[in-house]
Amino acid sequence: MAAANKANSGSLWLEKISKVFPARGGSGEVTAVNAVDLTIQQGEFLTLLGPSGCGKTTTLRLIAGFEMPSSGHILLDGKDITNQPPNKRDMAMVFQSYALFPHMTVFDNIAYGLHIRKLSRSEIKEKVANTLDLMGLQDLGARRPNELSGGQQQRVALARSLVMEPRVLLFDEPLSNLDAKLRVQMRSEIHALQRRLSITSVYVTHDQVEAMALSDRIVVMNKGQIEQIGTPDEIYRRPISRFVADFIGRANFLEARAEAVMNNQATVTLLGQTMTISAAGNPKTGDTLVAVLRPEALKLRVDPQLQPALVEQAMYLGSEIEYRVRVGQGILTVVENDPRASHIFREGETVGIDTIPEAVHLLPA
Amino acid sequence: MNKKILFLLAMLLVLVIAAPVFAQETLTVLCTPQEDWCVAMTQAFQEQTGIQTSYVRMSSGESLARIRATADNPEFSVWWGGPADAFIAAKDEGLLEQYESPTAAAIPADLKDPDNYWTGVYVGALGFCSNNEILAELGVDVPASWADLLNPALEANVAMAHPATSGTAFTAFWTVVTLEADKLEYPDGKPAEGETVEGTGEGYDETGTPTQQAIDNAFGYFAQLNNNILQYTKSGSAPGTMAGNGEIAVAIIFSHDCVKLQVEGFEGVLTTSFPEEGTGYEIGGMAIIKGAPELEAAQMWYDWALTPEAQAVALTVNSLQLPTNPDSPVSDLSVNLSDVNLVVYNFVAAGANRTPIAERFDLEVAPAPTE
Amino acid sequence: MAAIIRSRPIRQFRQIFQDPVLAVALIAVSLFVFIAVILPILAMVSTGFSAEGLPLFQNYLQNPIYQTIITNTVVLGLTVGIIGTGLGFLFAYVQVKVKAPFKRFMHLIALVPIISPPFALASAAILTFGRNGMITKGIFGVRCFWGQGRSCNDIYGLDGLTMVLALSLFTVAYLNLKGMMLALDPAMEEAATNLGASKWRTFRTVTIPMLLPGILSSFLLLFVEAIADLGNPLVLGGNFEVLATRIYVTIIGLYDTNAAAVLSVVLLVPSLTVFIIQRYWVNRQSVVSVTGKPTGTPQQITHPLVRWPLVALVLAICLLIIILYATIFVGSFVKVLGVNNEFTIDHFDFVINGYGSEAMTDTTLLSIISTPLAGILGMIIAFLVVRKAFLGRGLLDFSTMLGIAVPGTILGIGYLLVFNNDIQLVLPFGGENAPVITLIPKLTGGRAIFGGAMAIVIVYMVRSIPAALRSGVAALSQIDPAIEEASISLGADNALTFRKITLPLIRPAFLSGLIYAFARSMTTISAIVFLTTPQTKIMTAQILNEVENGRFGNAFAYCVILILIVLVAIGILYLTVGSTTGAERTLEGGA
Repeated sequence: MAAANKANSGSLWLEKISKVFPARGGSGEVTAVNAVDLTIQQGEFLTLLGPSGCGKTTTLRLIAGFEMPSSGHILLDGKDITNQPPNKRDMAMVFQSYALFPHMTVFDNIAYGLHIRKLSRSEIKEKVANTLDLMGLQDLGARRPNELSGGQQQRVALARSLVMEPRVLLFDEPLSNLDAKLRVQMRSEIHALQRRLSITSVYVTHDQVEAMALSDRIVVMNKGQIEQIGTPDEIYRRPISRFVADFIGRANFLEARAEAVMNNQATVTLLGQTMTISAAGNPKTGDTLVAVLRPEALKLRVDPQLQPALVEQAMYLGSEIEYRVRVGQGILTVVENDPRASHIFREGETVGIDTIPEAVHLLPA
Repeated sequence: MNKKILFLLAMLLVLVIAAPVFAQETLTVLCTPQEDWCVAMTQAFQEQTGIQTSYVRMSSGESLARIRATADNPEFSVWWGGPADAFIAAKDEGLLEQYESPTAAAIPADLKDPDNYWTGVYVGALGFCSNNEILAELGVDVPASWADLLNPALEANVAMAHPATSGTAFTAFWTVVTLEADKLEYPDGKPAEGETVEGTGEGYDETGTPTQQAIDNAFGYFAQLNNNILQYTKSGSAPGTMAGNGEIAVAIIFSHDCVKLQVEGFEGVLTTSFPEEGTGYEIGGMAIIKGAPELEAAQMWYDWALTPEAQAVALTVNSLQLPTNPDSPVSDLSVNLSDVNLVVYNFVAAGANRTPIAERFDLEVAPAPTE
Repeated sequence: MAAIIRSRPIRQFRQIFQDPVLAVALIAVSLFVFIAVILPILAMVSTGFSAEGLPLFQNYLQNPIYQTIITNTVVLGLTVGIIGTGLGFLFAYVQVKVKAPFKRFMHLIALVPIISPPFALASAAILTFGRNGMITKGIFGVRCFWGQGRSCNDIYGLDGLTMVLALSLFTVAYLNLKGMMLALDPAMEEAATNLGASKWRTFRTVTIPMLLPGILSSFLLLFVEAIADLGNPLVLGGNFEVLATRIYVTIIGLYDTNAAAVLSVVLLVPSLTVFIIQRYWVNRQSVVSVTGKPTGTPQQITHPLVRWPLVALVLAICLLIIILYATIFVGSFVKVLGVNNEFTIDHFDFVINGYGSEAMTDTTLLSIISTPLAGILGMIIAFLVVRKAFLGRGLLDFSTMLGIAVPGTILGIGYLLVFNNDIQLVLPFGGENAPVITLIPKLTGGRAIFGGAMAIVIVYMVRSIPAALRSGVAALSQIDPAIEEASISLGADNALTFRKITLPLIRPAFLSGLIYAFARSMTTISAIVFLTTPQTKIMTAQILNEVENGRFGNAFAYCVILILIVLVAIGILYLTVGSTTGAERTLEGGA
């Protein structure tokens, strides 16, 4: 019953939230989070993404209540919870280090929060058993955390939060301690679970692939401020700044002059090809722009018509091949998907370079 | 949570029970003689009266200091034992309660305060307590005079207590003061008993108090003696055990303490001797402290402690001081004071000078580097 | 106004005060530390600098006699610091870096002095190495090691004091340095050897510099302990007088609190200086890289010319410790050790059934009361200091540590100054008959509350909490704060989290804190000696009494019983608190 109600709640609103820390080593202050405004919908999976020190973890801890904002308010379902202690907020957090209680069994770990809610013994037993089932941990209830593998520990940590049926689930880089393969597997499990239970989730990571795989929306943060909010596709294809473009995926940056502008579409000449493509930031004719060329926006061909490029490095990665090619003074990264289908160039070869206009995006310089 | 609170409560309860039971009648005695005698006395008194009696043993200087410091709110009701000069000092400072005990009548007049502030409970003479073996090793005879103690062969082989803390040590100091005063007063030798010789007036003033010159001379003596002193102990009788253990050759202590040591394990090891120039003696005093919290019980103790029965307790713990009540039993081992050359010990003057001398000794003699 | 409200400290306190339990805990420990540690020290210092005290400073500092006493104090601190640290280093080096037999034995013997009742070793030293000692006189037939008379080199004075103090204190240095040597990455020394350095050169240029912070901090610790020590100089000082004994006589003999306070301030200067150096400088110099994964097994020295002399030296010192402790044990069972070696149980009868039984039960009871309180308070302060941000966090830590950094004598005198009367608050209305509220009842002296027992329990706590705090801080820093946050995020408040999560996880630290607290309480003397009352007798003060009067048999019986009580208590603590929950294993396993 409670779960059903909760499915309809869990909207979060951060209103001009700031957090100032004293600087390390004494004098001065560091603004970790700077006037962040953010609305998170019920049932939404939102990811805070950014390099380390961008304020994403602080923002998450502010939501959880482990830190007090220096200014601003946090509202949960319209109610101001800024001054509510963390244990009174109906949220559960999954930690990077899992933070399992080492002196308790898996069962007790999961039952911990339920005990605090003073549920009856039978209720606790049932709920924990269900959650263990859900997470595929059926036979591990009696084990201690140090007797589990990393993936199992991660599942227990998740189970411990899920069993609370919180209004908001908070994730603090939960997959960063897992090896690459497990990470992918857990990623998909979290994705499936969240969609199934539709609990509002705020997820912190510095891994853009993880962010794109899981999120309804991504918030890219930099230096305590929000750079861009958008769906994974928007963020990838329409980054609003060079920072976002650079952080999400790989990108080549080329300078270009806006020869003509119309409806936020600018005409530019890139690598010898003239094209009209979308441009962010209302550029004017004659402005210098930066073109973002994703590696897949470039193709290498044996075609003397095209801009010539020298292959300096070719790295075979199985599902793709990555080239570093020299064009004039600059080095560009080009990725060819499915190398079987095309010709593999050698280092030292001179080839032509082609641009796919749909995959190019223009930014103000 | 509840378990922890219960635990804390239980501990608190224990604390309350451990605290004295105020409802019962109690007596707190400040006791200066040796610990075992204190135990025996308080137990005997408790058995006889049913009064819950506890004691703290402190050396006499310590006792005086403590009574003085807590005069506003005394911790003790009765002070038993220790040289009378500390009692006289306390009386002069108004720290004692006057009490005319019915049993005090039995005590000779020269062994109690004329104003009934204190009464003597025992008497003992100061002496030297020497370790035979060590003396033989050092090639020194058993010391028979104060001058003998200055023998360079005894370097770092003599011990006495610190006059600031110990009545014994102060008695020794005042004895030397008296001897120096005699020397100043009668440069040609002290007149024999019965003989009257006009003094120079340099040793004693008109009230019979030794002059400052005499005191300065005594400091001169102890400054010299300091070279032979290994350690100034806190408690008066401690040097005796040091001598018994062979750590030193000679201890300046009360003779009865030396005899007690001989009885209790150092037989044949130790020898008691007396200085031929004359030695001091102590009257062990007893007094009720001003503002005594347990006045009635203190008076009961006072009356009881002067009875032969109470003074006989000393024998059970080999405390061989001479009792002040003529009817009390005396041990064969006790030193007969008539065999010893005693100085004319001015207790009143000693008491009056006690504090300044203790402080001066502490500053000038005790901590001085010995070369 | 707005700026004040929004200022950081106020916000932090607001955060803490959101949880009433946390707020109460913070206020309670701060109040306790202020009343029990800071107030007595302040009272002592302000008495020292009062109108009566100030002129004394000049007197004392210009008086050559006092200059000698001050010099003596510093010299004693230096010699004990150097020799004690040297002993600790030697034991640790042989234990870790030398291929030696009997290592387990050496380790155990090095731990023995942890439980050394005051005066025990000093008294034993007199009976064995004194002028008529069983070894000096009995075996070698000499009274002095060399010289005669005043120049007689005997157990009394600086040399004997240094020996006894170094032996009773070196365990700290040993444990400290052994830990560092084990943590030292062997690759470092291997690299030096690889680059062509000889073993000696490696030792000199790599090992020693790497251990320097540990050596220095051990030295400073021993220095402070040595200059604060009262019991040993009292018994063994001879004519070598130090500040601690001087202060003692000033109080006990002259009851001159002004003079005592002045001397205390003089003693406080080196103690506090060293404490501050240790805390803010040495601890930052640590270069030991604790990787947790040693890259190789330490190379052990096998060269016979290095190995055997070192082993022989360590064994000789072990023998010395055994002789001294055996003297205590044997001395408690014979009439007068060395003079009359007849077997007797009189001494034990005296302690167990005689008047000594009161001291035995009182001391044990008070220690039992103070131990868990000290342990829990230490852990709470550790928790607040490590996990919570608030203004004055460093100050709380520092003030708590003062409880042990300040010589016990000073604490004792401070208590006499502050708590000898009721501390009362006269309400500012009602004129003559203004109502009076007793804030703190009289704690010290006769007729104090609980017969003075409360003051003693508080002093026991003040002296033990610092160690509990340090082990708590060390343990907490090893525990991922996320574990506690997880508990809070699951709905537990701070108190529940502390009880259910933090405390079980730092259980080993809690246990060692308790053991230390109990052993410390049972053996402490310098602060207690001023606080015993007719109603409350304390074993260590009784031991002092017996030693002062030369009744070593009784003193040794006390010591043997005291050691037994501490051992039994340790056993009980292990059985109750130490029951394994798996937490210790898990922490090591790195969950």
